[in-house]
Amino acid sequence: MLAIVQFYHFAYMAIGVAMLGFGASGTLLTLVGPLGADRADRWFARSTVLTALAFIAAPVLAERLPIDATQLLWHGGSWLRLVVIELVLAAPLLAGAAVVLLGIRLAVRQSGLVYGVSFFGSGLGAVAALTVLWIVQPHRAIGLPAVIAAFGALAAVWNGGGKLRVASLACTVVAIGMLVSPVWRLDITPYKALPQIEAYPGANRVAERFGPTGWVVAVEAPAFRHAPGLSLGFGGTVPAERALFVDGELVGATPISQPTADDLAMLDWLPSAAPYAAARHERVLVLGAGSGTEVRNAAAHGARAITAVELVPDLVALNASAPHAETDSTAVHWVVADARSFVARARHRYDLVVLGPAGGPGATAAGVHALGEDFLHTVEAYVQYLRILDGGGVLAVTGWLTVPPRGSLRSVLTAAEALRREAPSRVRDGLVVLRSWGTVTVLAKPAGFTPAEVQRLEHWATERQFEIDWRPGLEQPPTARFHALAEPTVFAAARAATGGVEATNRFTDEYPFDVGPATDARPYPHHFLRPESVPRLLVAARGEWWPFAEWGHVTLLATLGQGVVVALLLLLAPLAARVPRSAAAPVLPVVGYFAAIGLAYLATEIATIQVATLLLGHPVFAVVAVLTLVLTCSGIGSLWSDRMGEHRVRYALAALVVMVTMASLGFLPTVHALQPLPLGLRVVATIALVGPVAIMMGIPFPAGVRLVAREDQVGLAWAWAANGFASVVAAPLAALVALEWGSSSLLAGAALIYAIAAAIMYSRSAAAPLSSAAGSPPT
Amino acid sequence: MRAMTHPERRRPGLGRSVPPLSVLVAAIVILLVPTPTVAQERGQRGADRTQAARQAMVELIAARGVVDSATLRAMERVPRHEFVPGSNRSRAYGDHPLPIGYGQTISQPYIVAYMTEVIGARPGMKVLEVGTGSGYQAAVLADIGARVFTVELVGDLATTAAERLERLGYANVTVRHADGHVGWEEEAPFDAVIVTAAAGYIPPALTAQLRPGGRMVIPVGSVYGIQNLVLVQKDQDGRLRTANLLPVRFVPMLEGLR
Repeated sequence: MLAIVQFYHFAYMAIGVAMLGFGASGTLLTLVGPLGADRADRWFARSTVLTALAFIAAPVLAERLPIDATQLLWHGGSWLRLVVIELVLAAPLLAGAAVVLLGIRLAVRQSGLVYGVSFFGSGLGAVAALTVLWIVQPHRAIGLPAVIAAFGALAAVWNGGGKLRVASLACTVVAIGMLVSPVWRLDITPYKALPQIEAYPGANRVAERFGPTGWVVAVEAPAFRHAPGLSLGFGGTVPAERALFVDGELVGATPISQPTADDLAMLDWLPSAAPYAAARHERVLVLGAGSGTEVRNAAAHGARAITAVELVPDLVALNASAPHAETDSTAVHWVVADARSFVARARHRYDLVVLGPAGGPGATAAGVHALGEDFLHTVEAYVQYLRILDGGGVLAVTGWLTVPPRGSLRSVLTAAEALRREAPSRVRDGLVVLRSWGTVTVLAKPAGFTPAEVQRLEHWATERQFEIDWRPGLEQPPTARFHALAEPTVFAAARAATGGVEATNRFTDEYPFDVGPATDARPYPHHFLRPESVPRLLVAARGEWWPFAEWGHVTLLATLGQGVVVALLLLLAPLAARVPRSAAAPVLPVVGYFAAIGLAYLATEIATIQVATLLLGHPVFAVVAVLTLVLTCSGIGSLWSDRMGEHRVRYALAALVVMVTMASLGFLPTVHALQPLPLGLRVVATIALVGPVAIMMGIPFPAGVRLVAREDQVGLAWAWAANGFASVVAAPLAALVALEWGSSSLLAGAALIYAIAAAIMYSRSAAAPLSSAAGSPPT
Repeated sequence: MRAMTHPERRRPGLGRSVPPLSVLVAAIVILLVPTPTVAQERGQRGADRTQAARQAMVELIAARGVVDSATLRAMERVPRHEFVPGSNRSRAYGDHPLPIGYGQTISQPYIVAYMTEVIGARPGMKVLEVGTGSGYQAAVLADIGARVFTVELVGDLATTAAERLERLGYANVTVRHADGHVGWEEEAPFDAVIVTAAAGYIPPALTAQLRPGGRMVIPVGSVYGIQNLVLVQKDQDGRLRTANLLPVRFVPMLEGLR
């Protein structure tokens, strides 16, 4: 909901908030001190009701604390509100985690069972979160956790009777009421494109659909026009169109009425029409086709068969039902699929593969998607696109031009690298780069452009007042005739890219932003900030640097900083409060072990989900499927751990270190090899690859808990808090490692941290068992 | 006036010890409302503070590279706080954008100054602004002496801006509530066009309404921050050329990054 109502950075807050709640529950119970069985039982029942109550209250309170995300940088008050919202949203997780912790306390010998069931519940929750979005709107779906928690409370307190039963019944009624009558309005920030275009006179929302892939809205407004990067030489009229939005952001437009000849003629004045100027393309594949423009562009240029691939089914439906030109005899085949997955299994060959500019220039410009994994613009992806081209086929990628140039340079370098891998002898004559006032179009042709094609392109570009920054045979930077840049960086990038790996590396090393090609191991094509520039960004006078900030990166750093501070404060609170603890029990090994497995678990989980998503081929369903698989298998591991002796736990840890190390080395190549398989086999492969690791990942926590909690309740709460807070830090830290060094490095890091946990376990066992060290009676 | 101060005129029923009602009212008014002297002092202090803040803002803008004296003088004179909604008025002179409602912002002062400088605003110049917003950019142009025709799509913003500009005495600004992508044909051609609402395309009508030799500036980016200012120049033959401008001091920053 936060991602829709605000911006999608806020989704990153969710994991941190959840883990904050988990950790805080440990701190709270550490501060409470030892609980007798009776008190623990009473508090267990109370916590279940509090959880339901918190799930009801949190969205109501959070909704009443509006924040203006655009003012976060300038206004301290906005940060305060954000912190309060985080605390409010952490409350249900705090209460829920206390239920699990008290459950473990009440059944220490079956801690694997309790923790495992909690894992199973989390896995089911992931499936439920996805499923509910098919049935109800996102702001209604927020009632679902409250309903589940209320039923959980009802089950926990029913036999006890009394006030708690009445309270849980009341919670159930209210929670069901939240589903029926939502408390959270879908009142999105006014800075998103949807409310802005709906503020146009005469604007009318003509379609609205909800689903797990997004909230899709179509708006008709007389003043709305969509012509991304239109040539300044175009003298006609831009037709009014129906604007399409996903989660409040503009993604494209469809015609309102049957396009006229003039409307179709306008398409030839868009920079993305460049490939049609070079040659006729009859079989066209449009990837990310939901914007609609590129499909119409292909049809207007005489394509005979167009395959349009789009992930969001509602966008496909809106495009497919839009009016077509009367003369249009093109066969358009719409496919609802992940583009990368579609290409990996494509059996047909195409004359042209198109990736157009999505939506408006704003999000790209601001680095809003810096943290977003995007497997469509990696070197491996471009290689796959080139492989499905027919002999004379062309790959065309159009994107918005930012200043200083960043994404456009990466496109040039990525296309050249793909050409080098696929057709090494054609790198120099297989690349053309055009630039308009606001866009850059990269054309890559494995067979190389002929002089006649280059000539046609030059003629077309001149007519439309587009610059050709690179073409075969160009040695010196061309004189800009229509659109000046401060420096000829696009030419410099293309010359370096076609000049070989060394020249490319030299260029990327010297360029102030990270514009090197993205890869599947590090799929962040919209991330450009170099880590070494971040401190300067943060200390510079406000307003000086912010237009260059990669907001995703800054949010991540802020979340990490905040997580470290909060984790340390709450972890050290019991020490400051002089909570009684075991004299003979050093806190450090307990905290160290549980912090290590907390960090390593989340790092492994995040990296695994990222890579396995590529194998399953759908960024939404695959994430849920892999998350459910990881959680369920971890649950199995937890259950298994109940039957393990201490020495077997040590073996399990050693095995886990080996498995995660192997994953860091071989997971991604294996996924690439398996990508062309049918879905059923890929699902089996995912289970075979991820399942065993996830089972082993479920063992260390309950095994450690059992050892610590056998005689020391406070130690158990410490362990819980350490694990939770390590996870608070781990969520942004893992994202940062993945961003800078990629998923393989993240897995390697996780293996190292698991090795540290294993070392702690071994060293404690050698000196004295972890259980006896931490398990002396409290003093 | 004599009658009002006549000593014999007292209200029946009130003894001598009770002051007349008018005196009571006057006393209450004096107690509740600051005396002209106090109000003037407070107002003066407030005005001094505002002036100092505005001066500091202009110094910052100048330090960041805006050199045009007409622009800087206008930025120093136009009361930016009058264009900012009440809750954010205290932050009016910070060098950052502020929300004005409807998902719109009053632009960062530096960007306003930079765009004003880029179009070369001068007295008597005829300027079309697309996206009135709060009216601040129009006021800066008007203060320089340009004739400003400004179009705003959101009706409430157009009305508020028109009232505000009139109240502040900017007579050479005409506000119209209309769709900006068609420009203002009746008043064309314009010496300069400022498009303050970012767009994915440059409307052909706007370039058509630009006088030969004229300049148009368009910020392209998002509300997170203007990333790219595009300058469109029309030469005497009617040919268009663009340049991607940099809203902040890019070169020193690049050096810093290296």
